[in-house]
Amino acid sequence: MQKNSERTLADGTRISDLINLETREVAMRTLSDPELYELEMERIFAKTWVFLGHETEIPKSGDFMIRDLGSDSVLVARDKDGVHVSLNVCPHRGMKISTLDCGNTPAHVCIYHGWAFKPNGDFIGAPVEKESMHGKLLSKEQLGLKKARVAIYGGLIFATWNIEGPSFEEFLGDAKWYFDTLWCRTDKGMEVLGPPQRFTIRANWKTACEQSASDGFHVLTLHRWLSEVGPYRKPGSEGGGGDLTPEMYGSEVYTAHAHTMRCIELDRKIRRLTGKDPSELSVKEKLEALPPPGVTQEMIPELLRNLSEDQLKIITWRPPQVGNFFPNGLFEFVYIPTPDGVVGVMALHAYVPKGPDKLEFVNWILAEKDTPPQLKATMLRLGVQLLGTSGMVEQDDSDTWPHQTIAAKGAMSKHITLKYQAMYETGKPEGWPGPGDVGDGFTKDDTQWRWWQYWHELMTAES
Amino acid sequence: MLQNLLEPTPLPPSVRANRLAIGSPEYNEILDFLYDEAEMLDNLRLAEWGELLTQDLEYNAPLRHTRSTAQFDQTYIRTVQHLHESYGSMMMRVKRITDTKSAWGEDPPSRVKRMVSNVRVYKTDKADEFKVESYLLVTRSRFDFDYFDLIPCVRYDILRRVEGSLKLARREILLDQVVIGTPNLGIIL
Ligand code: FES
Ligand SMILES: [Fe+2]
Repeated sequence: MQKNSERTLADGTRISDLINLETREVAMRTLSDPELYELEMERIFAKTWVFLGHETEIPKSGDFMIRDLGSDSVLVARDKDGVHVSLNVCPHRGMKISTLDCGNTPAHVCIYHGWAFKPNGDFIGAPVEKESMHGKLLSKEQLGLKKARVAIYGGLIFATWNIEGPSFEEFLGDAKWYFDTLWCRTDKGMEVLGPPQRFTIRANWKTACEQSASDGFHVLTLHRWLSEVGPYRKPGSEGGGGDLTPEMYGSEVYTAHAHTMRCIELDRKIRRLTGKDPSELSVKEKLEALPPPGVTQEMIPELLRNLSEDQLKIITWRPPQVGNFFPNGLFEFVYIPTPDGVVGVMALHAYVPKGPDKLEFVNWILAEKDTPPQLKATMLRLGVQLLGTSGMVEQDDSDTWPHQTIAAKGAMSKHITLKYQAMYETGKPEGWPGPGDVGDGFTKDDTQWRWWQYWHELMTAES
Repeated sequence: MLQNLLEPTPLPPSVRANRLAIGSPEYNEILDFLYDEAEMLDNLRLAEWGELLTQDLEYNAPLRHTRSTAQFDQTYIRTVQHLHESYGSMMMRVKRITDTKSAWGEDPPSRVKRMVSNVRVYKTDKADEFKVESYLLVTRSRFDFDYFDLIPCVRYDILRRVEGSLKLARREILLDQVVIGTPNLGIIL
């Protein structure tokens, strides 16, 4: 009997034939194949926890917003009990329940035949109650919207259709130790500075997501302009432009479920700001010299209280600056040099699959709730200038992914491979206190390869 | 409060009584400005375009939301926007294109047409400033792709006369799409 894991595509190719686990290569075809896309929606997006937004987007009871959980539209709504995620499809005849982007209502009434649902998805009733237009075969309890399982972590909303599957904490695994230094460092936590930017890219979701798993190399060339003009330019260096190479050093963390991050070294910045050798400074002194993005001097005692000594060591030495939540989330906590000093930018992206050749890029910009308004405004403006729709950095990314997607269809090119063969060879950096697999030094491919290993694991898993 | 720091300076109202007649000399001069600006941008004369901007420029493109008819005024989002620019940041965008060899998102450049129409000009209570409303339909052709990205929008501009010539002091771009149908706004609108 054929095992599920050996499931083949229509032309006889096995999924495990698309990826060479020894040589760390992935067949290009994987980037655009419609059959694989359908399988990904079932085996990845219906199985893992998926990032949907931030709870500060819907602060009041009755607030709701419409998001995508894989290829399905979902209603994300708050009531007095918390945040609920339900399929945005009417169980009567399949009309979309809410056609709006967001709003506030105690009852979501389907405009087709009038069935009504609570923010938590429960069926309230149909018009003309006494005539029981929903019949008697099913109880009202059975006629609610299909409900997903929800987890709120550091204000982030995640959901899954895998009701009996692993807990959110299990899903995060070793990444949680690091993510806590980002999302759970202050007493009040974070907030979005507004709704997300959204735009369409004619590219497969994996082109964006394999990059999101901490592709360091691409910064050197695809984002080379950063060294030629603007904040990172260091006059007098080669070619009239600066060199981004120093930004490529640090640690890279990759965990079992393919959550990864680049922990870029701060030593040079701290040396420049203080004129002192960072090894002679205490954690507190380093935090005061260069507070993390969105953090002010007043908030530093909170960090010292909320994080462990080991976590504090990481965030003042090599803090996570960019990384991903598998399958389709990305975060950035970057330190941007400006004429007025270093300004932090914090952003989250979701790369929502919209078919084999299309994705929706969703970009949120965040700050700590306690970040002073003036600094929030600066962070927001800088975020808009560098990231998302018009971002001068991410324009280059969004123009690249469509080419990969088109190439993945060529009779020859679909068989060539994506290569992830630059490997860390020295293990964890000395004195690294954090969990997970950790590489030391110049960026490598291990984080992205981990992304594909987990993709492979899920795509060939016995369901 | 954050909201106040992010919201652009409110535009003066579009009062019918203040409208300049189509075909009047000042109207024609402003129409010339918009056509010339479109030509400069279509032909990558970006440094020249930069000279049309005032130092106190506010240049914004709000997000849009799909809301009910009753909540139409809430369909514009001016906290996070697609563009949230000052003179300095706009010139940075210009320099990325003109002064680097690796602005890959627009190198090779898109072929772009900026079609300006429905131009209405209003006098404001400042003698040297006009409020100008225009429709803009941008077609963007990239590489050998067989489709155009379309970017329809309305622009609300403040044009100011500085030492005899008109300059752009403020622009708000209201895009029609909630989910922008082009991979980036690496072109100037
Ligand atoms: S489809 Fe929703 S009430 Fe009929
Ligand atoms: Fe990038």
